[in-house]
Amino acid sequence: MGCAVAGVGPQVDFALVGHPESWSAAAEVFSALRGPELTPLPDDEIRDILPWIPPRAVCRVAVKSIADAEAHGLYIDSFIPPDRLDAACVRENLTRVRAAASYAIKAGARIVSLGGFSSILLEGNFDQLPAGHRTVFTTGNTLTVAFIVQGIETMCAQQGRNLRESTLLVVGATGDVGSGCVHCLATKVKRVLLYARNAERLRRLAAELEAAGVEVEIATDLGEFSEEADVVICAASLPSSYLLLDRIAHDALVCDAGYPKNLSPDAETSGATVFFGGLGQITGGLTFDPDLHGILNRHPFPDVAHGCLLEGMALALEGRFEPFSRGRGAITPKLVEEIERIAARHGIYVAPFFNAAGPLPLTMK
Amino acid sequence: MESLMELESQTECVSLTAPIWQDVLAQAVTGELVAAMNYAALAGICDDPEEADQAREHEEIERSHAAAFAAAGRKIGVDVISNVDGKHWKRLREAFMRCVAERDTIGCLIVQEIMLEAFALASYSRVAIVAPGSLGKVFGAIAADEQEHADHAMAILKAERDANPPRFDDKLHRLHLEVMTTLAAMLAKECKDGHCEVCQTSCVKPSLIEVNLSAALLRGASLQQYLKTLDALGLPGEITLAWVAQLPV
Repeated sequence: MGCAVAGVGPQVDFALVGHPESWSAAAEVFSALRGPELTPLPDDEIRDILPWIPPRAVCRVAVKSIADAEAHGLYIDSFIPPDRLDAACVRENLTRVRAAASYAIKAGARIVSLGGFSSILLEGNFDQLPAGHRTVFTTGNTLTVAFIVQGIETMCAQQGRNLRESTLLVVGATGDVGSGCVHCLATKVKRVLLYARNAERLRRLAAELEAAGVEVEIATDLGEFSEEADVVICAASLPSSYLLLDRIAHDALVCDAGYPKNLSPDAETSGATVFFGGLGQITGGLTFDPDLHGILNRHPFPDVAHGCLLEGMALALEGRFEPFSRGRGAITPKLVEEIERIAARHGIYVAPFFNAAGPLPLTMK
Repeated sequence: MESLMELESQTECVSLTAPIWQDVLAQAVTGELVAAMNYAALAGICDDPEEADQAREHEEIERSHAAAFAAAGRKIGVDVISNVDGKHWKRLREAFMRCVAERDTIGCLIVQEIMLEAFALASYSRVAIVAPGSLGKVFGAIAADEQEHADHAMAILKAERDANPPRFDDKLHRLHLEVMTTLAAMLAKECKDGHCEVCQTSCVKPSLIEVNLSAALLRGASLQQYLKTLDALGLPGEITLAWVAQLPV
């Protein structure tokens, strides 16, 4: 890590707002910033220091397209402590997201992707963000949905599953990502099970699907469904894997698209195939300054990132500085197809499949 | 707001925690006296008589702060003994005096107004929240005072950075390595290199919890204030984050 200061940085086409997904992830970033000459900070010191850090850029990011375009940006960390993502800290965390957004505006970013919990906290209320004349915000959720749907379709094809004969369960079905997945897949499966906490929103979504001829069942308790699902999308993190895995087909295909990801393939899921969804891979080139490769994106494959962050980069490469994903369940199959095309044009594709245990082997059911 | 003198005229009893406040006040008085000495030295190298007058004025203000803290100590029944030659404070003073020797007024302002004031402002503000009665009010009033003259220095430093960002940032980084490393050692959760020579007996840090403070909290608040100040000057956040990440703990 060089110590020289660049007083004036390069252009900022995009900014990616994120937060550490775990204390170990935060420790790795601090360790990289300290450099190899200094001993890593002890965990207790990181837990003491991190909550005090004002939202700021952690590194510069440059992305190259296979179509010869290039875009430059910043990864901005809101430094929401990983153990303070719960409802009790909403106000404090919103303040951090707003400060991160202000930082992006001040840096001159033209488009800002709100990664991880940042957009969940806002619940689509972009008016809670500071105004910037040149800066637009996107939740990035449309590309996340695109990669989840591609993941489900590809994995079904790889495993010889007939999606048309499947019962699809969507956990977190009324959220922005969950409802986007439902809208894309409901007419491609035999039956849809929708699970969420808000019964009224569930009823509204079910009514909409039933009007389109989809067979739907809703529940606010996973135990209430009349049948087991064999294809599952977890668009919201569950407090425990057991809640879900006891209630689905033993050989189900499960896409863990929550954040942070918390479904592990263990003894209880021995028959099920769990893969992490909503992730994409940049094939044109991705560089960080300082070099935080494999630290900010801790995945078993290179240049893999969450769809929500990749959406901002894809739109910047395309020169489309617009609030593509605005939250609040506005993701349609048409928008998903459009962002998928934009991403693919620049060499951003669904990531190779993996889960907490590592890359997934190609398996036939 | 009550004046510092009015706050001094009351008497209070905080006997159980008095030894803790005695050490907290000793650090505060020492810091204010070091600041006063720094401003006096700065006045000596200012070419502009108006700036020299301003530095002398700041010297007086810092001395009045030291006096107010000492009076606050007397009111709770403790003698506040300062030591500007205490290990850390001496090192901080020497860093400032090297800038003076080079007639580097901007370097002086960086050390005093960005680094030492970030520490003072953040610490006083936190102490003000938990310190009882008039003691808390004295810390609060002095924190407000410090904020006021830090704002004035920021305008000068911002103009200096805008004129040549790489030169300014390089200078700031050199001073950061010297001064912030010392401040980080001062604010570490444990004094790893022996007694600080300001606390009256043993190190006060383990006892701070008894008055709802901790070294970790004071360090966190100080680093936050420092980073915000650097942000306001326009330094790149990814650079200043690395600087802070590399400090000793």
